[in-house]
Amino acid sequence: MIATDAGQADASFRTAVLSPTLAVMSFQLGRLLSRQRLLLAGLGVLFPAAVMLAVRRTVAEGLDRDLAVTMIYALVPEAVCMLGLLVTMCPAVADELERGTWIHIAVRPGGRRALLVGTYLAAVIWTSAVAILAACLAVLVARVPQPLPLIGILAVLVVLSTLGRAALFALPAVILPKRALVASVAVALVVEYLAGFIPAVINQATVSLRLRSLLVEWMGWRQKLPVEMQLLIDPQPAWVQIAAVFGLAAVLLVVAVKILDFRQFPPSVEL
Amino acid sequence: MLSLTHVTKVFGSVIGVNDVTVELGAGAHGLLGPNGAGKTTLLGLITGQLRPTMGQIRVFGEHPFANPRVLRRIGFCPAADLLERRATPREWVRYLVQLSGFRRDAAAERADRELDRVGLGEAMDRPLSTLSKGMRQRAKLAGAMAHDPDLLVLDEPFDGLDPVARHDLVGLVRRWAVSADTAEVPRTLIVASHLLHEVEALHAGLAVILGGRLVASGTAGEIRDMVDAMPAEIRIRCDTPRRLAELVCSTDGAEGLRFEGDDLLVVATRQPRALAERIASVAVEERLAIGEVAAGDRSLEGIFGRLVRLHRGVGS
Repeated sequence: MIATDAGQADASFRTAVLSPTLAVMSFQLGRLLSRQRLLLAGLGVLFPAAVMLAVRRTVAEGLDRDLAVTMIYALVPEAVCMLGLLVTMCPAVADELERGTWIHIAVRPGGRRALLVGTYLAAVIWTSAVAILAACLAVLVARVPQPLPLIGILAVLVVLSTLGRAALFALPAVILPKRALVASVAVALVVEYLAGFIPAVINQATVSLRLRSLLVEWMGWRQKLPVEMQLLIDPQPAWVQIAAVFGLAAVLLVVAVKILDFRQFPPSVEL
Repeated sequence: MLSLTHVTKVFGSVIGVNDVTVELGAGAHGLLGPNGAGKTTLLGLITGQLRPTMGQIRVFGEHPFANPRVLRRIGFCPAADLLERRATPREWVRYLVQLSGFRRDAAAERADRELDRVGLGEAMDRPLSTLSKGMRQRAKLAGAMAHDPDLLVLDEPFDGLDPVARHDLVGLVRRWAVSADTAEVPRTLIVASHLLHEVEALHAGLAVILGGRLVASGTAGEIRDMVDAMPAEIRIRCDTPRRLAELVCSTDGAEGLRFEGDDLLVVATRQPRALAERIASVAVEERLAIGEVAAGDRSLEGIFGRLVRLHRGVGS
């Protein structure tokens, strides 16, 4: 490409990849600041705290710390993150088709890739922010002793959960854009909550195994776990679990990008 | 600059584009055809959103499908309305320019400049949802042109606009087409429309597409000549069209006849003036009441309509 003025596309990594991706990310975050999405975020923040408050009130002698942590883990890095990503990542392509903006993006160099990766980053940031706030509130409401280290652990688990699962949801988003929500729920149930709990090689490729294993390790629960429960976690060190989530996310994202590169939508689909 | 060789695009059992072969050089070109003719599919192929099922497309010497080198040089304004609501024209155009590989500051500068050029300078900070369709159309045009493409493709750019907005945008696109002729790097403009007068106003070469097939291409004059080589039509309204048909058959020059309704006879001929005179004199001799004698429409609109009818197998 010929440089015609300052800032012209020169096929460098910054202008060809980084700038479009960040542009999409920032544009998508702008869309997520709509009234409806903010209301949804508010519900996501309040819901785990409301559950923890209800549980705390039913237990007169106070909540057991391990039970409270397990509940907050199930509510935040699992439920809130999944729901947040269903709202933000699944419609990555379908939203553009509906708004008539897909065609504007697909005709830009690297527009398809920037759309997917930029939307992925926006989904991770938005969902992580909501989930971390939800975790903070839930921990405070549950009156868990030593809340700060726990919030730190939950924050890392939230970020890993969104990184891995947003990449997982990127596949239905590009393969079945019009049915991405249903397909993503099916993927979440089958991959994360069925295959993820099968004590076999198949659960190695799930985010839920990695998150559970990290929670058990960081909470120091390994020795306390009954033998049959130990089958549901991976005994390898934390850095392996974190690397596995990053590796899984990278592979899923590359596959999704490659699929989107070759997707064609007939004019009638766009209109 | 752009060549299509036996290009066919099939969607399941539907043929979008059927065996199209055409070469387009620098300058302005109009792609004409009724709704559903395959214009948008053809533009989708040219702008690298669709892959041909058969045949070959070359834009700037390369296949365009998802090819960043080609896409960087294309500006595309699709027909569909922009349903992006919250963003302002400034944010939207800057976003598109950034997707074309410009840094944020350069993209912002280009977006502002282009929005000023299309007449949206005052409204560039209003949400798109508050703008009229004509203003959104201008925003789309600005997005297509702001990165200074070498190939500008506009799909029904004037559709649904009021006459004033249409006039303004035709002027805008015409100025781009004129600047394309004088640009350092040769540039091409393709405008798809189902309205001939819009394309005529751009002084563009024409390609007519019907049922996914390219049925005619050339300048407006060349297409007129091509149609001239086919029989013209004379439409005669009278109270006894079947008797008149017998008389017309007995004279020279008539190549085809058909009846439309109870009182209209349509005669195909290569000598419309001479035959019309003969029909008039025969009608006087036979005391037939002729209500109207009209030649076929010789405007480009008429020729276009004629091509459509010929393609559908109606008429001569």
